[in-house]
Amino acid sequence: MRVSWNWLSEWVDLSGFKNPNELADLLIRRGLEVEQVERLDRGLEKVVTARILSRSPHPQADRLSVCSVDCGSSDPLQIVCGAQNMKGGDVVALAQVGAHLPNDAKIGESKIRGVVSHGMLCSEAELKLKEESEGILILPSETPVGLPLAAVLGKDDLIFHLKVTANRGDCLSHLGIAREVAAALGLTLKKAQPSPLCEGECPIAIHLEAGELSPQFYGVWIEGVSVGPSPAELVRKLEVLGLRSINNVVDLSNWVMMELGHPVHAYDGNQILGKTVSVRKGREGEVLPLLDHKTIQLSGHELVVADGERVIGLAGVMGGGNSEVQATTKNLFLECAEFHPSWVRQSSGRYQRKTDASHRFERGIDPTDLGRVVSCFAQEVVRLAGGRIVGLKSVRAPSRSQFQRPAIRFGLHDVHDFLGFPRDQSPLLLSELEAIWKRLDCQVLKQGDHWEVRPPSYRWDLNLMEDLAEEIARTVGYDLIPATIPTLSSSPVSAISSIPQLILQDRAKDSLVRQGFHESLNYAFTSLGSLESLGLTSTVRLMNPLSEEYEWMVPSLLPGLIRNALTNWNHHFGSESLPIRLFELRPVFAAGASGAVASSQTETGVQEAWKLAIVMSGPRFAGGLRGDFAPVEFADLKGVVEALLRDLGTRGVRFLPFSASRTGGNPLFHPGKSAEVLAGNTVAGHFGLLHPARARDLKTRDDLWLVELDWTQLLKLSRGAFQVPSYKAWPEFPGMERDFALVVKEEISVDKICQVALKAGRPLIKGAKVFDIYRGAQVAEGMTSIAVRVIFYDETRSLQESEAEAASIKLLEAWKQEIGAELRG
Amino acid sequence: MLEKLSAIGGQALEEIERSSSLESLDQIRVTLLGKKGSLSELLKGLSGLSPQERPVLGAAANEWKKKIELALEGRKTALEKVLLEQQLQREKLDISAPARIVHPGSLHVVTQTVRRMIQIFGRLGFDVTLGPEAETEYLNFEAVNIPADHPARDMQDTFFLGPGVVLRTHTSGVQMRSMLAQKSPVRILCPGAVYRCDHDATHSPMFHQLEGLWVDRNVRMSDLNGVLLFWARELFGADTQIRLRPSYFPFVEPGAEVDVSCFRCRVKRSEQCRICKGTGWLEILGAGMVHPRLFEMAGYSRSEGLSGFAFGLGVERIAMLLHEIPDLRLLFQGDMRFLGQF
Repeated sequence: MRVSWNWLSEWVDLSGFKNPNELADLLIRRGLEVEQVERLDRGLEKVVTARILSRSPHPQADRLSVCSVDCGSSDPLQIVCGAQNMKGGDVVALAQVGAHLPNDAKIGESKIRGVVSHGMLCSEAELKLKEESEGILILPSETPVGLPLAAVLGKDDLIFHLKVTANRGDCLSHLGIAREVAAALGLTLKKAQPSPLCEGECPIAIHLEAGELSPQFYGVWIEGVSVGPSPAELVRKLEVLGLRSINNVVDLSNWVMMELGHPVHAYDGNQILGKTVSVRKGREGEVLPLLDHKTIQLSGHELVVADGERVIGLAGVMGGGNSEVQATTKNLFLECAEFHPSWVRQSSGRYQRKTDASHRFERGIDPTDLGRVVSCFAQEVVRLAGGRIVGLKSVRAPSRSQFQRPAIRFGLHDVHDFLGFPRDQSPLLLSELEAIWKRLDCQVLKQGDHWEVRPPSYRWDLNLMEDLAEEIARTVGYDLIPATIPTLSSSPVSAISSIPQLILQDRAKDSLVRQGFHESLNYAFTSLGSLESLGLTSTVRLMNPLSEEYEWMVPSLLPGLIRNALTNWNHHFGSESLPIRLFELRPVFAAGASGAVASSQTETGVQEAWKLAIVMSGPRFAGGLRGDFAPVEFADLKGVVEALLRDLGTRGVRFLPFSASRTGGNPLFHPGKSAEVLAGNTVAGHFGLLHPARARDLKTRDDLWLVELDWTQLLKLSRGAFQVPSYKAWPEFPGMERDFALVVKEEISVDKICQVALKAGRPLIKGAKVFDIYRGAQVAEGMTSIAVRVIFYDETRSLQESEAEAASIKLLEAWKQEIGAELRG
Repeated sequence: MLEKLSAIGGQALEEIERSSSLESLDQIRVTLLGKKGSLSELLKGLSGLSPQERPVLGAAANEWKKKIELALEGRKTALEKVLLEQQLQREKLDISAPARIVHPGSLHVVTQTVRRMIQIFGRLGFDVTLGPEAETEYLNFEAVNIPADHPARDMQDTFFLGPGVVLRTHTSGVQMRSMLAQKSPVRILCPGAVYRCDHDATHSPMFHQLEGLWVDRNVRMSDLNGVLLFWARELFGADTQIRLRPSYFPFVEPGAEVDVSCFRCRVKRSEQCRICKGTGWLEILGAGMVHPRLFEMAGYSRSEGLSGFAFGLGVERIAMLLHEIPDLRLLFQGDMRFLGQF
């Protein structure tokens, strides 16, 4: 909301402020955020009114004149001017030496074609009063000379742009802000609030048919007005607040709103059919042409003002076009009413009309001064538009006769205890509390060990001791509140602590960072197209997305990370391939069986599953020589996963080739170069190469390796992370090792060889590892040569050669039996 | 015999002295002391000598043998020393050649910032609670005192996923979930992603918040002040000041906007400061005393004498200030040129 310094000065003495920023600071300290203090006279500081005494041609230039001007003070000044529209005796705008005009021109003493000019006569364009203008600005001849031009134009004002919070509807007028300033400074308001007209003859019957949704309505009938343009002063007053002038009656309704905070409305009296006005709920099928020339269909869920035959206004939001005040209007019916905040809000939302009126009704108006407000409106109308006030009529629900806010009762020291001030001591004495509340128009009673405080009718936000404590805090200043550290009254462990989950998240992230990965964060929504291009789909859609690009909740973190990889490739140049190492740990979203519908206060119908995803590509090392830049392979990816699982203390996870998968894998992955991760019999993720079809569509530059793990499954299997490891001794007696070169069928997976060794070689064989795999010319078609190293030892003694020999023979037998492995000849 | 012995020995010593390699030295050792070596052969001949001559010659031979062995050993040591020196002369790496470097990874600044906050607040006794990002409209709004038709709804532009289901606009729903799940005292931090329909250089449709909630008997507003001052000084430096300005958030009363003195201007106040735009203050978080309505919604009894404070801060905002990041969108692009810097 905009507040004018001059307008505010009509209400409260602002002379105590040394500069406008002091007032801004005061408002900020009281919780009224000042976004901007706008000086309307910016650029006009050294521009004054002046009278041209004489004009004569420039001796050296036909197009120029030399004027002698009187600007009130010293001797006449000589000014060179290029305009032709002025003559001796005209009052003009003189930019004095030192002026820095709104169009950024700096005025200095200059010599123009040999003649000295002590300033410049300005055009409206130069003063930015208009976009374009011809000649210089000629002011009315009665304008006094030597005044600041800003004052003459009504621009000697400051506009405060306030951001009034939703709880302070009472601050949406100059009266409201004046009350705040007066309370802060201990001043009284300069202007008395207008006195109400007496009830009298009014030809319109008023009916309140919506009960408490509209508990009161005041109307005034005026006859014989002349609707026309507003006087310049009123136009200016509204203009600086951002309100466009319409005509004198409408402008006055806006003026009343900005002055007193009540939205009021004027109807063309002759357009009120049936001589009745009623407030009621709309009826389905009814139509209402609005003031903005659009017609709405009513739903039955809004409050309307109707005459005897039709709807003539959307109550609290906007008047009807069918009863609009026009140039020809002779009789007026003025309205000042109260409408229920949430009903106004609903109408304003449903019909997409956020108006100054709805803004104020939503926040609550003062229910006690409607009579005064409508009377003030009527008197001003008669003053500017003529006519005769015929009479005022009001209808009120019982709740609005003798209205007052309920009193708030609380302990004498509650406010001190709550804010953390020492009881009844400096800087906050009990007497100070009382004084502050009284300055805020509260009625204060001190009864024994209790306060009983009744807030003023316009302060809907004051309901509890805490609200009144805030009034104290913002008046004495939040900066006076002491700083203390709260005591821990019990163990800091919360009943629903997420610390264990965070510990594992940190472990996983730290593990991956150690392994060279950067953590990425992507939006949780994306476009359907980008998902479909990867063979994915989403089941959760935003009802009001920002754009198609952010419409569907992600079912996987990989689309985001793949997009990140493409982004990084796009800006990469040079012959080396780009090392890409990214991961993300976040939830993905899926709709439950009955969709994203709240089924209780806490159930959303949306399943959130945390995932850990990784993308990897490019050289194995970040630095080194050519050999170190070999691209990462499946083994590197598997190494990352295994190191991660080790760091998490995850146990009981198996890797399965896609060919053995019962779920058939995942469309993002190359079926032959990927693994399925199993936790028990549950699929807990996948890792492997991006599917070649996807890679082709996306035009990836290098092989892109992917991992996506089900974080919830991993958590279940990562109890090891919280176990304290016990010391284990290593074998005291040396072991032996034997290397074997085996030839097996290609389809035998290499870890099968180790499994057989460990099983068949019990108890002496303690380890087996494959250290070379060869396929090619040296072995038969369809066969693989595998080199495996087997470790033998006994914890209790040194082994004999012969024992290892015997175990080896047994092992070879087992390999042959179980997987058809032969020693390579 | 003795002459022969001296001749062999003398010659051997000379040869040893002259030998220039370990191999030739070894050769000498074999020729003299090996099974078929000249000295060994000579000693074999001792048996044919008279008992008088035998000990004399035996002693002499042994003495020569010792001398030769000593010489061999000495020469070997000397030669080895020379060889080592030669090896050291020869062997050299260009230590300026590029290192083989494991890729350096990095945590996202959001994660780093959240961790710092948890670390700081954690010292005061806050626990941490996570909650869902898809939240019921009830917990996101109604339960934290923002009824359906309240103008405060305008403060947050909300994404809807379905009837009564929103992407949470703040993590306050987690606070309510925590209060519903346990009795007082409640002391928790709720970090996490939140969503609002807004997108430009300073607004992201998804961003992160960290909210704190402390509920117990007789919690005072001065406690909020003290906790935030402690936090600000831990994060921005010991001479940091905070400034509370009255404001309005429906879930607190009184409410406050909290500014922190500019950590860059502190030393030298500058009108051109890029961080605070010359104001000396950074608008950083919202806070206040928990509105009694929330206790009602959580089913806490009024008679318990409970009060509490809550605060909420934007993680990205703080990360951007600390690291002087000019555009919020950089945080969500997965650009490794950005991610790798922190």
